[in-house]
Amino acid sequence: MGAAWDTIIFQPVLNSLIALCSILFSNFGLTIIALTIIIRGCMYPLTTRQLRSTKAMQSLQPKLTELRQKYAKDKQRLAKEQMQLYKESGISPAGCLLPMLIQMPIWIALYQSIMMALAVAPEGLLNLSGYLYSWPVVHSMLPLGSKFLWLNLAEPNFFLAILVGVTMWVQQKMVTPATTDPKQRSMSGMMLWMMPLMFTFLSLQFPSGLALYWVTSNVISIVLQYFVTGWGGLVKSTAGKPAGRDKKYKQRIAQIEERPSEYADVGADVVEPSSTQGEGLGYGKSGDERQDRGGGYPTRLREIRRQPRRSKGHRPKRR
Amino acid sequence: MWVKHNKILLSKILLLLVILLVGGLTISGCIRGLQPIGWSGGVVADGTLFLGSIEGRLVAVSTSDGTRQWSDQITTTSSGGFGCAPSSAGVAMYGTPAVAGDLVYIGGYNGKIYAFDSSSLQKRWVYPPEGNLQPIVGGPVVALGKVYFGGSDGKVYALKADTGVKVWESSPAGDKIWSTPVIDDGTVYISSFDKKLYALDATTGKKKWETAEVGGAIATTPLVYNNTVYFGSFDRYLYAVDATDGSLKWKSEVEAGKWFWAKPVIYNNTVYAPSLDGKVYVLDAESGHELIDAIDLGSPVSSSPVLVDGSIIIASEEGKVYSIENNQKRELKNLGEKINAPLGASNGVVYVHTQEDDTLYALNAQTGVELWDISLSSK
Repeated sequence: MGAAWDTIIFQPVLNSLIALCSILFSNFGLTIIALTIIIRGCMYPLTTRQLRSTKAMQSLQPKLTELRQKYAKDKQRLAKEQMQLYKESGISPAGCLLPMLIQMPIWIALYQSIMMALAVAPEGLLNLSGYLYSWPVVHSMLPLGSKFLWLNLAEPNFFLAILVGVTMWVQQKMVTPATTDPKQRSMSGMMLWMMPLMFTFLSLQFPSGLALYWVTSNVISIVLQYFVTGWGGLVKSTAGKPAGRDKKYKQRIAQIEERPSEYADVGADVVEPSSTQGEGLGYGKSGDERQDRGGGYPTRLREIRRQPRRSKGHRPKRR
Repeated sequence: MWVKHNKILLSKILLLLVILLVGGLTISGCIRGLQPIGWSGGVVADGTLFLGSIEGRLVAVSTSDGTRQWSDQITTTSSGGFGCAPSSAGVAMYGTPAVAGDLVYIGGYNGKIYAFDSSSLQKRWVYPPEGNLQPIVGGPVVALGKVYFGGSDGKVYALKADTGVKVWESSPAGDKIWSTPVIDDGTVYISSFDKKLYALDATTGKKKWETAEVGGAIATTPLVYNNTVYFGSFDRYLYAVDATDGSLKWKSEVEAGKWFWAKPVIYNNTVYAPSLDGKVYVLDAESGHELIDAIDLGSPVSSSPVLVDGSIIIASEEGKVYSIENNQKRELKNLGEKINAPLGASNGVVYVHTQEDDTLYALNAQTGVELWDISLSSK
């Protein structure tokens, strides 16, 4: 496993990093930034897919919350209904994770390459020689210079560590959905602070070359995130920022949001979350203008859509 | 299954992934040589072998019975890596100590040079007394009443051997110096990562000459023999330059598979240069021509070999010790432990310091029979 990892992922990234350094004026800082941009560029389709999936999942949250409250005592039914909801909206929960899982080995390889190429300790430099291709440029470049601007990339740097934390927090904040569910809010809050704090702490321990990579990567993520989903959780409402491109989810979710709550035919107590208005992508508004073809919706759902929307907290009359 | 736990489960998985990622990053950082450990070689004087231990102590070992004596631990104030700090906060020591009179000198990765009393192992002086230089990886050398050493700041220092007072410092190199200087006929020869070899006046520190830039960094300690300086480079070639003016005598025709790291040895006008590609290159000292096909040891060689009674004793990283006689290799012993430290030798005995378990082995250089082995740990 280790040998396969080295051959297929780690060595290509490492040798590319060193070779790229020879092109970029032997400036390792510039090389880290450039290679991070290149790799993130190559993974752009996966990243955007992940971002859109995540955003689409978030926009389903009101409906999911509704279902959870409604079927709190019937887990089996809840699962069935949720599955149905995902199916109708065309969202796969795995769609958020899969692209990230695919990208993770590349991130780790890049991280390892930066650490190894910096060769802080003699053992590191000695170890590095075992992973080099026979390209002459790779051998003549080593050991790489660790000076970049005022930084020594081989040593921790407080400023970069803080920058890692800040950029990571901004990125996390952008992807954190507004939610009324206390459990989710607690989890989101933990994630929002835990990752930036952890990575800031790590940055203070590791060579700042790694922090430079994290900062670059975070900034790229923020930019991508902005273009795909807008400022997200950074601003209170993103209704004005159209997602634009993920039509696949947009259309389906809009149709689902249009339909009234399903408590009408069951008679359960449902508190409709107030945050559903204006939250997420603003699909509800555009959905009003969309022609209803009814295509692809099960008969049951079409019937539900015709029912009048009931006011908050209303208990329907049982028959 | 996904649906059952939906978003909360996703959040938990994300949390787990983050923890795994951070843990993985930390662990891989440890594994890949982030932390300096040290690989000090041994030097023998008056029946005692001196070397630095992984704990950061100078250790004196009796060559007759293996009894040990330790100095106080030298500790570092620099922070260790998250989650991978060594159990001991001892300073890593890479260079082989030098002995002169009643003092033993050793450099630390914390950027200090220490002088210990050879009998009591009490510290006599330390340079610099306050603060630290850049990490010192090469060993010190004593000659002309001075201690010479190079540092990662690209400087060469000369101190009074008895007091540690600085006599001169010279900044010939534009990059790190990790090699041990060689003193010959009033000249200090030292190599640098800036791809050059320098000759300095041993009395004043003034630069006499520098070589033209070669194709790669130079980590090997140079070998001076018969008015010629031999060294290998990261460009995977061996070089011979004139000791008088630094002009190139020859560059090896053969290109090694990986870097030259260990110091070469010379015997019978033949240069034996081990490489990290696991081969020993055998070249004519005058012309640089390859005399025989490189001797394959099957594992990288970073440990500098020694010459004992006409045999080249050499150790590979995987822990095998070989003898090369008449250009034929013979396995003396398989220690099965990682070897990076330069070998030491005295009276037909080879001393091998293995990095993994901080163990010192004494082997008969002819037969490979293990005479004794001891741990250098003080605990």
